[in-house]
Amino acid sequence: MTLRTWAEINAKIQAKQAVVWTAAALKARVKEWGVARCARTVDVITTGTFEPMEASGAVLNLGQTDPPIKLRQCWLDGVPCYTGFGAVDVVIGASQLGEDEGVERGGGHVIADLIAGQTVSLKAVGQSTDCYPRPTLETRISKDTINQFYLYNPRNLYQNFIVGVNGGDRTLYTYLGPLLPQLGNAVYACTGALSPLLNDPDLRCVGIGTKVFLGGGVGYIAWEGTQHFPLQKRLPNRVPIGPAATVALIGDAQQMQSRWVRGCFFKHYGSSLYLGVGVPFPVLDEQVIVACAVQDEEIVVPVMDFAIPRRVRPSFGLVSYAQLKSGRITINGTQVRTAPLASISWSMEVAEILKSWIERGEFTLNEPIAPLPMDRAFLSQDGLE
Amino acid sequence: MKQRVTLTFPRQMVQIPITYRLAKDFNIAANIIRAQVAPNQVGKLVVELAGDMDQLAAALEWLADSGIEVAQSSREILIDTERCIDCGLCTGVCPTQALTLDKEFRLHFTRTRCIVCEQCIPTCPVVAITTNF
Repeated sequence: MTLRTWAEINAKIQAKQAVVWTAAALKARVKEWGVARCARTVDVITTGTFEPMEASGAVLNLGQTDPPIKLRQCWLDGVPCYTGFGAVDVVIGASQLGEDEGVERGGGHVIADLIAGQTVSLKAVGQSTDCYPRPTLETRISKDTINQFYLYNPRNLYQNFIVGVNGGDRTLYTYLGPLLPQLGNAVYACTGALSPLLNDPDLRCVGIGTKVFLGGGVGYIAWEGTQHFPLQKRLPNRVPIGPAATVALIGDAQQMQSRWVRGCFFKHYGSSLYLGVGVPFPVLDEQVIVACAVQDEEIVVPVMDFAIPRRVRPSFGLVSYAQLKSGRITINGTQVRTAPLASISWSMEVAEILKSWIERGEFTLNEPIAPLPMDRAFLSQDGLE
Repeated sequence: MKQRVTLTFPRQMVQIPITYRLAKDFNIAANIIRAQVAPNQVGKLVVELAGDMDQLAAALEWLADSGIEVAQSSREILIDTERCIDCGLCTGVCPTQALTLDKEFRLHFTRTRCIVCEQCIPTCPVVAITTNF
């Protein structure tokens, strides 16, 4: 049964009368209040995350030089960029490493520096043509000296993920950070019940066009994310038991805040970008409350052994996020210390900030213009042997 | 010469009679300042090593080659709270629970528990952890 429509919720937001709770607040109160009372009371629930998003990039348009140039190679602070679009369009990826030997810095740091208002060096080689004769360009740019600067994440907001451990006998340096030998530690990347898409397992309220908090500014869901796999096995509460849905996000980087966009580097692995993302859910019906009420005890995730570097790694079985957040899990009878990769406290702060934006009438909700597909397969690739 | 170091043993190294080997193989007198050793757990030994300078260097090299973390005890770990994002990744590699997450999942550093093994330094993805050396 529909309790309120998108339009009714937005009218309340604009009148600064919307009742907004964070997902954490709802989870704490729903047992006492019950679903029906929460659904009657609350208009919007906010979720947030602050985690490394390797599949992040930025699109820049520099503006033309005189004489004009058609970029074919370009480096921002020594990090190679992609230039195969328009003459002065540049794309930089967060996981692209700088070329200087031993540098622990990559595209994520360059994107974060630009958002922080810093100036970065640009070196480029052009392809001389009759219309673009200039052969090279060296300059310094900042977010205020270029035309467009927007963030684009081909994959973001992973709906659940995995836990990494190392059953081998040497330290492994992974995208989850160092994994110590003999099950020395376990790292989990997803924030469990706080994670935005685990509060909407069937993607009822999000789709293409959904407006989100992105890096301290406003962004949108642009498309399904890469490796979007909604067909992942699910529990009866519809929560997937491993990596499932993803979304592609886009947003104006010139409006973002450096607090919520941080370059990062994982030793002997590479660079990435910590990014704050917040997603609001309209309480259209009681089902929205039921989905957002999911607790860490009710979400499980597989523990994978990174000592076997195969496409399908052996699993030590499933653990719940309640176990992970307690600081210890038991694997094969051994206690293993757990550590998060996402910042759980900052994730909660993103949800709080988005809540305050909506309460102040500054952020309305966008009804999706198209749903995200729910039937994507998860294919793999093999070389010609 | 004398040198004070902190030795951190991985769980599988706790069985090795370290002070005996130091005395027999390197003629080093190891004065134990502080020790935390239990079966099947990460062990910690703060020792003052006394002996010939070359043999002391060889002993430290042997310890490191054996998989034992050797840290100069006068070092101290520093957390840059401006850079720290409270992810807590460092808490998983800290052998003494000097680095922990509190109830609100903010990073908490208990200096007195720290043995300056420095495992947290390369683990930090935002370079918020350094030593004062």
